[in-house]
Amino acid sequence: MTTREFKTVGTQVRRLDADEKLSGRAQFTGDLEVPGMAFCKLVTSPLPHARITRLDASRARALPGVYAVLTAAELVNMETHYGSDKKDRPVVAIDKVRFQGEPVAAVAAVDLATAEAAVELVEVEYEELPTVTGIDEALDPAGEPVHESNVCHEYSIGWGDVDAAFRECDHVFEDTFEFPMVYHYAMEPHTCIASYEPDRIRLWTSAQHPFLVQAEIARLFGRQLDQVQVVVPFVGGGYGSKSYTKIEPLVTALSREAGRPVRLALSVDEAMRTVRRHAARGTIRTGVMNDGTIVARDCVGYVDTGGYTDNGVRVTERFGDRMPGPYAMPNLRVKTYGLFTNSTPAGSYRSIGGPQAIWVCESQIDMIAHALGMDPFEFRVKNLVREGEEVRRGRRPIEGDLEYALRRVADEFGWDGWTPEPTPPGVKRGIGFACGVTNSGASPTSTSLVRFHADGSATVYIGSAEMGQGSRSVMAQIAAEELRIPYEKVRVVASDTSAVPWDRSTGSSRSTTLMGLAVHDAAIDIRQQLLDLAAEHFEAFPEEIEAEDGRASFKGESVAFAALVRNLFGGSGGELMGRGYVTPKHPSGKLRQDPVFWEVSIGAAEVEVDTATGEVRLLRYYSISDPGKAINPKQVEGQDEGAAMQAIGHTLFEEMLYEDGQLLNPNLVDYRVPVFTDLPDEFETVLIESGNGPGPYGAKGVGEGGIVCVAPAVANAVFNATGVRISTLPLTPERVWRALHEAGQASG
Amino acid sequence: MKPFRLHEPTTVQEAASALADAGGGAALYAGGTELLLAMKSGLLAYDTLINVKSIPGLDSVSADGDGVVIGASATHSAVEHDPLVRERLPLLSEVEHGVANLRVRNVGTLAGNLCFAEPHSDPATLLLVYEAELDIAGPSGARRIAAGDLQTGSYETSLGPDELLTAVRVPVFPAGVRAAYSKFGYHHRPTLGIAAALAVEDGVVADARLALGCVSPVARRLSRSEDVLRGERVDALAEGASVLREAARLASEDADAVEDMHGGVDYKEHLVRVFLERTVLRALARNGGGDV
Amino acid sequence: MSEAQSLVEMTFELNGAPVAATVEPQTPLIDLLRERFGLTGTKRSCDVQVCGACTVLLDGAPVSSCTVPAFEARGREVLTVEGFAAGEDASPLIEAFVNNAAFQCGFCTPGMLLAAKSLLDADPAPSEETIKDYMRGNVCRCTGYKKIVEAVHEAAEASR
Repeated sequence: MTTREFKTVGTQVRRLDADEKLSGRAQFTGDLEVPGMAFCKLVTSPLPHARITRLDASRARALPGVYAVLTAAELVNMETHYGSDKKDRPVVAIDKVRFQGEPVAAVAAVDLATAEAAVELVEVEYEELPTVTGIDEALDPAGEPVHESNVCHEYSIGWGDVDAAFRECDHVFEDTFEFPMVYHYAMEPHTCIASYEPDRIRLWTSAQHPFLVQAEIARLFGRQLDQVQVVVPFVGGGYGSKSYTKIEPLVTALSREAGRPVRLALSVDEAMRTVRRHAARGTIRTGVMNDGTIVARDCVGYVDTGGYTDNGVRVTERFGDRMPGPYAMPNLRVKTYGLFTNSTPAGSYRSIGGPQAIWVCESQIDMIAHALGMDPFEFRVKNLVREGEEVRRGRRPIEGDLEYALRRVADEFGWDGWTPEPTPPGVKRGIGFACGVTNSGASPTSTSLVRFHADGSATVYIGSAEMGQGSRSVMAQIAAEELRIPYEKVRVVASDTSAVPWDRSTGSSRSTTLMGLAVHDAAIDIRQQLLDLAAEHFEAFPEEIEAEDGRASFKGESVAFAALVRNLFGGSGGELMGRGYVTPKHPSGKLRQDPVFWEVSIGAAEVEVDTATGEVRLLRYYSISDPGKAINPKQVEGQDEGAAMQAIGHTLFEEMLYEDGQLLNPNLVDYRVPVFTDLPDEFETVLIESGNGPGPYGAKGVGEGGIVCVAPAVANAVFNATGVRISTLPLTPERVWRALHEAGQASG
Repeated sequence: MKPFRLHEPTTVQEAASALADAGGGAALYAGGTELLLAMKSGLLAYDTLINVKSIPGLDSVSADGDGVVIGASATHSAVEHDPLVRERLPLLSEVEHGVANLRVRNVGTLAGNLCFAEPHSDPATLLLVYEAELDIAGPSGARRIAAGDLQTGSYETSLGPDELLTAVRVPVFPAGVRAAYSKFGYHHRPTLGIAAALAVEDGVVADARLALGCVSPVARRLSRSEDVLRGERVDALAEGASVLREAARLASEDADAVEDMHGGVDYKEHLVRVFLERTVLRALARNGGGDV
Repeated sequence: MSEAQSLVEMTFELNGAPVAATVEPQTPLIDLLRERFGLTGTKRSCDVQVCGACTVLLDGAPVSSCTVPAFEARGREVLTVEGFAAGEDASPLIEAFVNNAAFQCGFCTPGMLLAAKSLLDADPAPSEETIKDYMRGNVCRCTGYKKIVEAVHEAAEASR
């Protein structure tokens, strides 16, 4: 069996959602109509930090066409707070608001115009509190704390004796770097329809983790899991913004008040006040020997998690895990803090804490190489953790050859011997490199069910949300491969908690690896049943049966799988069911250790800097993607290119700007995201298939690696071009010009 | 968006009367690309919008002597692609192509762009060096003003409450003029725009028109910079004569740059210096005559 | 003298078929298309004419239906993604989007297809620079754009 060639895996099949998505038929949550549905508008706080002293919704309730107004007073006979790690987020603000845009009430009305009119009639009075903006103010003990304390979470890892190592090494470098708040801009803003009914609660929602939403809603409203159905239609982009639970509790509570289904579709403005990426600051002290050996790193980091925890706990931890980089070092100390401020709560965003951590790590690595007079590429290679070694003590060893991966990217990029093309005066070119590893996969827990029908077709049941990554097609490919039937015979039912078996989440690059494994196992379960039936049919042993193209064969005779199923049930119908359970105890033995896998990220950039204006143009960007096994190669590239393009945004221009707790750029006119003309002249993904992942066929996840290295690679290239180091993102023309100007390197 | 009524006049006079009758409760509507955004966000509210596109002929682009008359309801795209504009005012066509994005250009009008008086307008800056004129109509008759006399501040114009802009009159550049427009910025709207039109006779700058926009609420001519460039030799400027630096310095002094999301005052003043030099040099490098 | 109206009665051509509608002046075209005609392929995202998810073709020209009032369709031709995809000339673009993995979540895709169609109508053999310049007003947050450029290129070649 090991020599069998893949029929479907590794090919570019037609995506299962292609015809729907390319015809306008694909349905997203906002495209659904539920009979009797009311429309919701939010009453939000104009102030970033305040006590609610009065709230009167009576005029709004009296407006014809208004079904209900939800305020804190209505949060009775239910739990009032939710959250993934800390349940600190009220369904609507209770007594106090902690960020501008926090919902204090919600209106359900016959139509949106009525709901909008009613919002104007809700009277809220506030007593303003001092505002906490940014990491420095969060750390200031004199300020008004956002919660009991501004420290949301603390995390530390380490080994060896860092202080002794610093005393004994040749050089100690200390540098601090800042990463901005950024917004995912999933093009579909969060949308949810909730129907609170006496015997059940139904939700249609743009969520990445339907089963976590189900559990949260069941807990909040005191229901059994089987009484809560969460359906996730197509999701218009996630990138982490729709992870865990967002607007679903509010809409469900409002539906309870209104006595009918309610739909809330956020605007971009509101979505920017729903979730964002953590701003971060990291300070690293690194001890090195004269020969370039790193002996110790001491990392201190802060992430700004905004008004509520959301995913602040995990991001604080991942920021710490990822900051030291992919390097071997005998001594390490990491301490990170998550801090509350009066701003949009920060949650998951593609590689949580990863871009922030690698920005800090890889900017400093470049500075050290420069200070030591070493080529920054060779300095990295010298210190890389080797295959099979632990990059973090006690965790899964690195499963790939990092040096090979780095050299592949460097070769394809043309790192060695690079010389800049001639440029006009004042325009300089440079190249930069960065690498990182991120602990991915979240937790190794997924299940799948496959039904094999009496006509030889199959249906695969998965919890993964389809948010663009193409998981449905990949799961169909895996199922077709293992069922030994054509891809066209497989359909996928996804992300409906009443129809599909449990899955933890869609994120952390985990679906192909973990849900893929569950589907793989479920399909093999069926194949084994088919082989048993065929053995009976041919009066042979199962091991003697060949299965391919929907038929079982033995000694030149063959029978259709479909016929085997029909024969079993003695008629025209019937079906087989296969199950796949993925747990840390999976029989492959590959899921016992944390993390599920290490996702490798590498970036090489060539930039052109206009030293008169400070404008940075990214001319070439090379990234790596190691999916272990590329089940659908173009989709692998698509994940990498899309992630890298998002990173071009936070590298060059994206930043949520706050002043006194007020968001200054809550729209796409003032919050600039990358467009076609930002595409570098060369934008390449180097695909390697190391085959060493814990998923099916050695697959592992690739959704996040592309976003991690762009910022440090570009900043390192800017340094290479100009000799000026910039330690704060984004690298806007003004910021770059100021840095050049200060260093006496600006022209014009 | 709050409900509004739609008034569709068929003559300019009718539109002006409707404006007057509404006493501030009405606004003119052409493309609506700026107005409707402001109304959607609640920044502006009107009971009535007066659709100038219902006035026949107001979308025409036609010859006017050597120049071009652009009607008030001609869209950016119509101006960009109009054969007469391309032939006579190629730089205007080029700049119109750079306005916002295709969908906005397909709907938004040049006149509406000027009247909305949003500070980051490319055409508003460019029309200053064309020395364009604007036809204004009101209940008391018509008047004509210089393009530079329209905008008085951020989102403010000199139009009376019952007046409307009916046409933009753009003369061709005089013979021998070399012109260029530069814009800079990474935001959706430009951070800076500079237009230069330089009349060259016998290798000497016989006349200079320079305009600066976006860095401050109102686009302006840079007359002190123009003065120092007049009489200068083109080859000396191209080699980086110090007078070009002086012109750039004066431009930054005259910029009245304001700090905002696009940058601090010192950075904007610096950009003015950089792009004044670059734009003048780009204009002078355009040897073929005409304005592009 | 005409009177200001609070309802506009109109007829127009929607995806090739004549239709009639009565709209309030403030109703944006996207609401008419989605709510009255059930054409939910047109997506609302940024709502400020930046992203292009709501792109429809009005007399063949791309416009932002999130902001263009519905009454602007009066007497004109509106093409949405549903009408485009059902048309005979759609298949080169659609197949090129499939072959090049030029879509992921699919939320920008209807607008992207219509922008690309309008480009290819105007310029059947666009250069890479022309594609980027023409489409720079359509945002995609998933693909990183490269594969869309490749798809438009391939569609142009296939149509020749």
